[in-house]
Amino acid sequence: MANGDDEFISGFMDDYFEECDEHLATVRQILLSLEGVTGVQPIAPSILEEMFRSFHSMKGISGMVELRDAEMLAHEMESYLRALRQQEAILTPAGVDALVAGVDALERVIVARREKHPGPPIDDVKARIAAVIPHGLPAAAVSAALAESSREVTPEWIVTFVPSSELSERGLNVDTVRARLRQHGTILQAVPKILPTGVAFEFAFAGDLDEVTREAWTSDGITVARASAPLPAVETSVELLEGTGDPKGIGLSPTVASASHYVRVDLARLDDLMRMIGDLVISRARMADTLARVERRVPAIEWREVHENSAAIERQLRDLREGVVRIRLVPVGEIFRRMPFVVRDLAKQSGAKVRLILEGQETEIDKYLIERMMDPILHIVRNSVSHAFEIPSERQAAGKPEEGTLRLSASTAGESVVIEIADDGRGVDVEAVTRRARAAGMSVPEGPLDSAALLELLCAPGFSTRDETDRGSGRGIGMAVVKSTIQQLSGTLALDTEPGRGTRFTIELPLTLSITEAMIAVVGDRTFAIPQGSVREVIEIDHVSLRSIEAHEIVPYRGGVLPVLRLSKLFGITEQARRSLHAFVIGSGLEAVAIAVDRITGQREIVVRALADTMIKVEGIVGATDLGDGRVVLILNLQALARMARRDLGGANAAAQPRSA
Amino acid sequence: MSDHYILFSLAGTTYALRTRDVTHVEMIDQITSVPNAAHFVDGVVFSRGQVVPALNLRARFGFDRAPCDVRTRLLVVQNDGRSVGLVVDSAREFLSIPSSAVQPPNQALAGISGQYIEGIANLNDRLVLILDLAEVLNFSQSVPAA
Amino acid sequence: MQRTLVVDDSPTIRRMVMASLKDVCPGGFAEAGSGLEALEQLALAPFALMILDLNMPDMHGLEVLKFVRSHQKYRDLPVVVLTTRGDATSRGEVVKEGASLYLTKPFVPLALAEQVRSLLNGGARPADDVDRNPHG
Repeated sequence: MANGDDEFISGFMDDYFEECDEHLATVRQILLSLEGVTGVQPIAPSILEEMFRSFHSMKGISGMVELRDAEMLAHEMESYLRALRQQEAILTPAGVDALVAGVDALERVIVARREKHPGPPIDDVKARIAAVIPHGLPAAAVSAALAESSREVTPEWIVTFVPSSELSERGLNVDTVRARLRQHGTILQAVPKILPTGVAFEFAFAGDLDEVTREAWTSDGITVARASAPLPAVETSVELLEGTGDPKGIGLSPTVASASHYVRVDLARLDDLMRMIGDLVISRARMADTLARVERRVPAIEWREVHENSAAIERQLRDLREGVVRIRLVPVGEIFRRMPFVVRDLAKQSGAKVRLILEGQETEIDKYLIERMMDPILHIVRNSVSHAFEIPSERQAAGKPEEGTLRLSASTAGESVVIEIADDGRGVDVEAVTRRARAAGMSVPEGPLDSAALLELLCAPGFSTRDETDRGSGRGIGMAVVKSTIQQLSGTLALDTEPGRGTRFTIELPLTLSITEAMIAVVGDRTFAIPQGSVREVIEIDHVSLRSIEAHEIVPYRGGVLPVLRLSKLFGITEQARRSLHAFVIGSGLEAVAIAVDRITGQREIVVRALADTMIKVEGIVGATDLGDGRVVLILNLQALARMARRDLGGANAAAQPRSA
Repeated sequence: MSDHYILFSLAGTTYALRTRDVTHVEMIDQITSVPNAAHFVDGVVFSRGQVVPALNLRARFGFDRAPCDVRTRLLVVQNDGRSVGLVVDSAREFLSIPSSAVQPPNQALAGISGQYIEGIANLNDRLVLILDLAEVLNFSQSVPAA
Repeated sequence: MQRTLVVDDSPTIRRMVMASLKDVCPGGFAEAGSGLEALEQLALAPFALMILDLNMPDMHGLEVLKFVRSHQKYRDLPVVVLTTRGDATSRGEVVKEGASLYLTKPFVPLALAEQVRSLLNGGARPADDVDRNPHG
C-alpha cells in the first residue's frame, strides 16, 4: 500500500467519524427498542434491513480508511444481520447481547482511532458474534418469526413526482418528496418511469392525505391519485423497505433523513474556539495594561473614549465566552442512554433484579465533561449493579422490594453540575473494605470509619477490586482513576452509605471554563498569579519599617502590626534588591498576614488550568496559566501558603503583639 | 506474541516503554519549575493544552542531570488516568519486542533504577531495559526533597 | 463540459471518489445518495460518466443500471460500477447488464483514477479491478 494513501485517508477522517457516529446511533436506537421484544413480537424486516445497511456501510468506509478492526467487527455483524434477513436465523436475546457488545467494541475502536491510541482487543467480541451466526440449513420454524412482508398492505394512493431543474432549485427532489411522504404514512413501492421529457417517480402509498394537502402538493410537482388495484408487478420495481415510518411490530421513531436545523460540530473545533477565546481574554488584558500605562499621555476626552471601547470589548468578550460555553453544552442523557444496556447485562450476571431510573437527562453539561466522565460513571454503575444488590430472596427477607432500584440523576446547582448514582442495595461493606485495604498494605485507622475515610480507601491506588469483570470493554478502570479524573476536572466526589439501606455517590463538577481575575506578582526571576478573590488588600512595605522578632518579620499596620511572610523564603527564590516590597494582605483580625513579593505588576483575567497530579501537588500552588507569551505561570493559593508557613516556621502569629481591631 | 515499544536513551542505556502507554513525544520548550516539589520533578509544561508534570528520569534514577540539548525529549505518558511527561536524553526508535526475548530483572541490577525495571530484553546482544511505568510514577510525599 | 455523477449512499465514499477523480473529470461532479436520486439527476442533465455503487437502500445498483441501459438516451453513458468486495452480485452479471467497468471497494485512489482515465480515453476492459486487497 503506497504511503501516499495515508495522506489521502487523513483528509477524510472527519467524514468517516461523522458517518460512523450516525450509523452507530441508528443501530443503538434499534437495539434499545428490541430490548425485551426478541422472541416475543415479530420484528419487521425493515428494522433488520436498516441495521444490516448500517453495518455494511461502516464496513465499507472502515475498509477505505484502513481501520481493520472496525472493518472486521462490522463485517461480523453484517454477516449476522444478513443471516437474520434471509431468515436463516431468529434474533434471540443472546443475539441482541452479542450485537450490543459488538457495537460497543466497534465504537471503542473508532474512538481509539480518533484519539490516536491503540484500541481494545476485539477477538472475544468477534467470536461472540460469530457464535450466534448459524451455519448449515435454516430451521423450518424460523421463518415464522419475521413479520409479514409489507407488500401485503394495499396501497391507498399513487403519488407521482416529476422532477425538474426548477423544482430542484426550490429544494424539491425525489429524496425530499420521499421524506415528506414518510411523514404522512408508508411508501410501499417506488417505480421510476421514463417520460419523453424525462423521468417520473410513482410511489404506491398508504397514509393520510387530505384534500388540502393533495391540492397544495400539485404546485410542488406532486400529483396524487387514488389507487385502484393492489400493487402491480413491475419490471423495474424498487424493493422498498420503507420501515422508517412505523413498521409493524415495533414502534420506532423515524430516523430523520433530511437536513435539520442542527449542525454537527467536531469537539476539537470547539476546543480550538475555547482556546482562541482564552487567548482573546489574555490579549485584551495585556491591552488594558498597555492602555493604563499610556493613559497619562492621552487627553482626558480621548481617554474616555478609549476606555469605553476597552470596556465594551471586555463585555462582548464575556458574552462571546458564555455563548461558546453554551454551544458546548450537551444533555447528560448522552451518558445515561448507555446505562440500560449495562445494567441489563450485569444484572443478569449477578442474578439481581434491578430497575434503572434516570433523572435529569436534559441537564446540560460541557461536552468535554461528558467525554471524560463517561467511563467513571460507567464504572460506578457497573460496580453498583454487580456488587451492591442482594438477590431477590435476600431482599425480600430484609423487607425490601424484590427489585432493586438504581437511580442516576443529574442537576445543576449554580456553577456546578451534580450527578448522583444511588442504589438501595446492601451498602458498602466496611469490614470487607478495611480487610482488603490492610491486606494491600495500606494503613487503616482503628475505630469506625466515616464516609470520607471509606471513600479514600476505595479510591486508593492499588485497592481496586480485580474480580470485577469488565465485559467487552478494553479498559478496566478502578475507583482511583474515577477519583483522579474528577479531580482533574476540578470536581469533587462524595460517598454516602448505610449498611442494609444503600449507597450514594455524589459527583460535583464545575460547569464552565475557569477564568478568573488575578494579580500578577514577580519574585526574583519568577512570575506568579494570585486570584484576586482571596486578597483583601495590597500594601507597599518599606524596608525600614520592617521589624524582626526572633525569626519572624512584622510591619506596622493600621495601628497594630502585621506578620510578613516572604514568598522568596517560602519558595527558596532569591529576591531582587529593592527599597520596598509589595505585599498581599489576606485574612482578617488576628489571622491577617501579609505575603510579600518583589513587585505586583498588574491585574488581569487568567485562564485557570488545574494542576492535579500528585507529583506536583505542592501546598500553596493550585494551578497554572499562560500569560500569552508562552510562559507558564503558577497560580498560588495564599491561604494555603500562610498555613504552611505557620506550620513550618512555628507560627508567625504567636510572636505578634496584640493589635487593635 | 510481541508488544510494540518506543525506545529511548538515558545516560547511555537504552530503555523501552510500551507505545500504548505513550501519548506522544515532543521537544521540550519551556519547563516552569514548581517550588518545593520533589527533586526529580523538573516542573510543569504545557502540552497540547494540558498542564503536565515533567519528571526528570535521570534524577529519578539517581543519575547526574545533563543539560538539555537538541536531542532531549519529553515523552508524555498516561497511566491510571494521569498524564505525565518524562524528560529523557533522546527518543527515536520504535520496536516490536517478542515476549520470548524478555527476562525478568535480576538482582544484578543494583541501584535505584532496579526497582523501576519490569524486564530486560536481549535483542541480538543489545540490552533494552523495559520500564515499569506505574513504579516510575509512583510517588508518595515521603520521598525527601534532595 | 459534462459532469460526472457519483452514486453511493455513503457521503464519505462519495467524497473519496470525487477526490480521487478530480484530475480525471474536468467537468466536475454531481452526487446522488440513492438509486432514485441517481435517476432523477440523470433525467435533469447530461453526464459524461456515472460511478455507481450497487448496494443502495432504495434501489439496487443493478436495477439502476438496467433502467439506464434500457433507455436510448443513456445507452452510451459510461458506467463504472464500484461495489463492495464479496458482494453477491457477480462481475459477470454486472458486465452483462452493461457496466463499462467493474471495480471493488475498498479502492486504491490512484488505481481508480487510472482505470477511469483509461476508460474515458477509450481503453479499459470491463474486467479490470482496482481492488485494494485482492487476496482478501
